[in-house]
Amino acid sequence: MHVIVVGCGRVGSEVALNLASSEHDVIVIDRRAESFRRLGEDFKGATMVGVGFDRDVLTEAGITPNCAVAAVTSGDNSNILIARVARETFGVKHVVARIYDPRRASIYERLGIATVASVTWTSARVLRHLLVSESTPDWVDPSAKFTILERRVSTAAAGMSVADVETATAGRVAVIGRFGEASIPSPSLLLQEDDVLHIVVPADHAAQLDAALHLTEGTPE
Amino acid sequence: MRVIIAGGGSVGRYMAGQLQNSGHDVTLIDNDTSVVTQGRATRTPVGVTWWLGDACEVATLTSVGAAQADVVAAVTGDDEDNLVVSLLCKQEFAVPRVLARVNNPKNEWMFTDMWGVDISVSTPHLLTALVEEAVTVGSFVRLLSLEGGKARLAEVTLAAGSPAIAKELTNLGLPRESTVVAVLRDGHVVVPRGDTVLHQGDEVLVLVTGGVEDDVRRALVG
Amino acid sequence: MSILRRKNKDACPAEAPGPPPSTPICDTEPRQRVCVCGKVTRMTARPTAGQPALAISVSDDTGTVTAVWTGRRSIGGITLGRRIAINGVPVMHGDHLEFTNPDYTLLPR
Repeated sequence: MHVIVVGCGRVGSEVALNLASSEHDVIVIDRRAESFRRLGEDFKGATMVGVGFDRDVLTEAGITPNCAVAAVTSGDNSNILIARVARETFGVKHVVARIYDPRRASIYERLGIATVASVTWTSARVLRHLLVSESTPDWVDPSAKFTILERRVSTAAAGMSVADVETATAGRVAVIGRFGEASIPSPSLLLQEDDVLHIVVPADHAAQLDAALHLTEGTPE
Repeated sequence: MRVIIAGGGSVGRYMAGQLQNSGHDVTLIDNDTSVVTQGRATRTPVGVTWWLGDACEVATLTSVGAAQADVVAAVTGDDEDNLVVSLLCKQEFAVPRVLARVNNPKNEWMFTDMWGVDISVSTPHLLTALVEEAVTVGSFVRLLSLEGGKARLAEVTLAAGSPAIAKELTNLGLPRESTVVAVLRDGHVVVPRGDTVLHQGDEVLVLVTGGVEDDVRRALVG
Repeated sequence: MSILRRKNKDACPAEAPGPPPSTPICDTEPRQRVCVCGKVTRMTARPTAGQPALAISVSDDTGTVTAVWTGRRSIGGITLGRRIAINGVPVMHGDHLEFTNPDYTLLPR
């Protein structure tokens, strides 16, 4: 998959190196060429100096609806601009934005943009948002019988009830995150696109969950 | 009117001073302590309330009374900040009129209702337009974009061959989606009426909505 | 999702033990945060300046409001006839109230 990482700070470089080593096609954009030093000598991806919300820059970086974009600069405002341009102007579905200020997260979540707040921030969380198929679970119980998985609700799954998902996966939605707020859902709650589910399922039910949430359809390669 | 201005640089301070002078209630927000301290110490602009804070935060906007503001002007030197301030003002506070400054013309395309911007002002754009206006007589010069590009204020200085010369305004054949706002003649403003007759050298200020610019151009320039 | 916060009492809650607390549309005021419930009675694409936008009308027995999401063409689950709750700060738009990018909750029939 083609991934565009905007911002080559500690986080951006970690994400880029991680993605490049797992055989994804990565390009890192940063305003300053010196930032690319963090990528080291062996970085297999591409780099580009430029402003991440500039349409020409993104076009030159090979942005398409099937790619993924991580907006991980040091500025919340830049990240939100990049995320919206990627999503709304270029139709990219897999977009994640890093937000330092968790209070702004709800504003951005309402625009339908996945945000990763810096408090529990790791490159792993960014990667999880970008790559559904390779995401690691929130938690696996010691007996390895159950696991808690985090999934973002896609457009196709919007309108399903929590009960529908639980029945289809023999699991329980423990927590749902919506518009920057988390709560414990009742079974009759209808899922909305961009909701973040933390769902307890039997350990081998990840594929079933993804199918129930229509996540395996049209996943980028 | 209650006006909030985000950005205490020279543009923001100038605007604040002018508006406060005209009798409006103006608050000026800046995130730089020294700027705000200086402003408060020197009490300039006169009568303006200074506020230290990040205008891109809902908490700051709440504190300065964005919920009651009639107009918010996001005029910092940073396009990203101006866009975020505009969006928050529209989305969270339903501010009726949001004005934003475009610093880099390459970003102008984003300054629309997509980011809550009602009126965008691009200084480079405006300067170019004014230069064009100064050097060209007989061309159609766009001055200002309103309502996210839905309405445009343009100016034509009538040259010798203009089809509009010696005609009354009602007979110009201007499309319905346009209106002559003012005629500048010999250094004063003529308030246009249906029977106002246009002369060579008149500067005609016209507001154009919809896609009728070409029709307006044909009527005034030929 | 790292922060667990209590939603304020006037907001439509993410969980739905019963109908969310809402105001009849006829009682809503511009520029006050409010939650209204109703049916989606209209859906239109409202592109401006080359950018898409989704506009819907939501009606209850007492009136109609519109909600606009800028930069989006569609939102999953929002369809004609769907019952929906809208939470935001509306502005007066002509003769009715309009919400920009509000919170929304899809409601069961």
